[in-house]
Amino acid sequence: MIEVKSLTKVFKKPIRGKGVLGMIRTLFSRKYKEIRAVDDVSFDIKEGEIVGYIGSNGAGKSTTIKMMCGILTPTSGQVLIDGKEPYKKRRIVAKEIGVVFGQKTQLWWDIPLIESFKVLKEIYQVSDEDYKTRMEFLSTVLGIDEFLSQPVRTLSLGQRMRADLAASMLHNPKILFLDEPTIGMDVLVKEKIRLAIHALNAKYHTTVVLTTHDMADIEDLCSRIIMIEKGKIIYDGPLKAIKHRFGNIKTLTITVPANIDPLEVAPYSKDVDMSSKDDKVMLRFDADKVKLEDVVQYAFSSYHAIDMKITDISIEDVVKQILVQQEEAKHA
Amino acid sequence: MLKKYKPFLRASAMDVMAYKFNILVWVIVTLFEVACLVFLWFAVYQSSEGGIDASINGFTYKEMIAYVVLTTIFGFVTFNNDTLWIINNDIRKGTIGNYLIKPISYRGKFVASNIGALLIMTLIFGIPLYSIGLGVLIGIGFLPIVSVWEFIAHIGLFLVAGVLACLINDTIAYIFGILCFYTTSAWGLNSLKTTIIAFLSGTLLPLAFFPPIFRDIVGYMPFAGLSQNPVLILMMKYDYFESAKVILIALAWLVILELFSKLLFCHAIKKVTVQGG
Repeated sequence: MIEVKSLTKVFKKPIRGKGVLGMIRTLFSRKYKEIRAVDDVSFDIKEGEIVGYIGSNGAGKSTTIKMMCGILTPTSGQVLIDGKEPYKKRRIVAKEIGVVFGQKTQLWWDIPLIESFKVLKEIYQVSDEDYKTRMEFLSTVLGIDEFLSQPVRTLSLGQRMRADLAASMLHNPKILFLDEPTIGMDVLVKEKIRLAIHALNAKYHTTVVLTTHDMADIEDLCSRIIMIEKGKIIYDGPLKAIKHRFGNIKTLTITVPANIDPLEVAPYSKDVDMSSKDDKVMLRFDADKVKLEDVVQYAFSSYHAIDMKITDISIEDVVKQILVQQEEAKHA
Repeated sequence: MLKKYKPFLRASAMDVMAYKFNILVWVIVTLFEVACLVFLWFAVYQSSEGGIDASINGFTYKEMIAYVVLTTIFGFVTFNNDTLWIINNDIRKGTIGNYLIKPISYRGKFVASNIGALLIMTLIFGIPLYSIGLGVLIGIGFLPIVSVWEFIAHIGLFLVAGVLACLINDTIAYIFGILCFYTTSAWGLNSLKTTIIAFLSGTLLPLAFFPPIFRDIVGYMPFAGLSQNPVLILMMKYDYFESAKVILIALAWLVILELFSKLLFCHAIKKVTVQGG
């Protein structure tokens, strides 16, 4: 369905001098710095898969997505969507794909949402019948009918995102690219969006590629993840394997009273990693090996904790750990 | 195939209606401008050798006034595009991506918008303005009608030339818009475009007033078809043969410019760097 072959995108960035003098100098001689945003990336995605494309900020996720949907032309390498290159056969591939960029809307700002849908219906030449059934389906899974008559600029971020998602599905694309679809959403909206993606995938067998910073999104949606860092793929495989590799890492952050010196408290065991900063103590552990309950109890009895917070491992942590492991593997 | 461009046609027609106040201001400003030109040309002709009835470069005073009035109406009805600014905005804000992922051509969207604006402007302002303008000019004897049928035939030719002028104007704006991919100076590009068109299209002064060689060269460029030629067809200063010739030249230019813009777009699109990731 999607084939990506040694895809590379190099951006040329002019190096600007500092101050007025530097500005004048750049007028006459321009030096460029090459940035390899995506560097020799290859993968295949099969029909019906939901793939999480993850990495830290600036890792090259969006650039890859933009090449896959035909906005950017690769410097070298190739993307094939159903055997066609999207940046060459733009209009043909466009019918097969739906795209949502979490950061910006594709809906027309000043007209009521329903009018935007009607415009899309005409652009994608969706038949009246299909339009009706899909709108019914999308209204139920995304709950958009309550604000269909409002201009897009008056919608809240969560409403807008649901509207954008519905808009990208109106022509029933085979592939859906979602670039951070849950960015800035509250838990309830996130939940709704995830359910909708599941429903779409189940009903239409839509292939979904999504980028996100939210670990919960990935756990809930993706069976496979592709991880990118500094333009290179560092992991491509099932989510289970990576979870197994790192275990179910959780961090318990507690606030300790001023009279307790964290360094003097006896450690729980070598399975719990302790670090401290100011009045905060971070306890990192694998919840599959050590019971969360025990660690919480230990935190309250030994540290006399006055506040606590439990966080799951973040994408940044996973990326960091994979890089560390790769370094170690190299040295070994 | 073309049905999917209908929403853009409709939207631009609605946009025109949203700017009613601008249009009112335009009418007032333009009345003053036309009045100034009428007095200016009056002074020019009066001080010439043959006095007010003389013919300068093939134009009598009456024809000159008819030319000024009709060029003004023509420009108002025909040229209503923000193509360059829209492209610049799409590039700066990255919204161009929204169109690149849709099964429509970026160029086609502008053509549809332009035709939409031309249709609505002609219906709402063109018909009354031309009726009043032509009515007054004919009534006071500034535009003599020898044969009604010939006049009607020229109106038909004028409509063809007018549509071509609208499309050529938009293609030029589109080409200058695409140049915004290479430079961030949209303002400079727009001034350049406006100046070139005002000077070479005969909007400021009929091309007959330029030196002969220069006039001949400009005559074969796309600009004369933008304003001077349609108006001279309407004024019956061109016979059928000459009208057909300038229409064919305009058509050829439209094809050439359209092909050039396509090539330019294909090159420029590789330079797209969408902001924010």
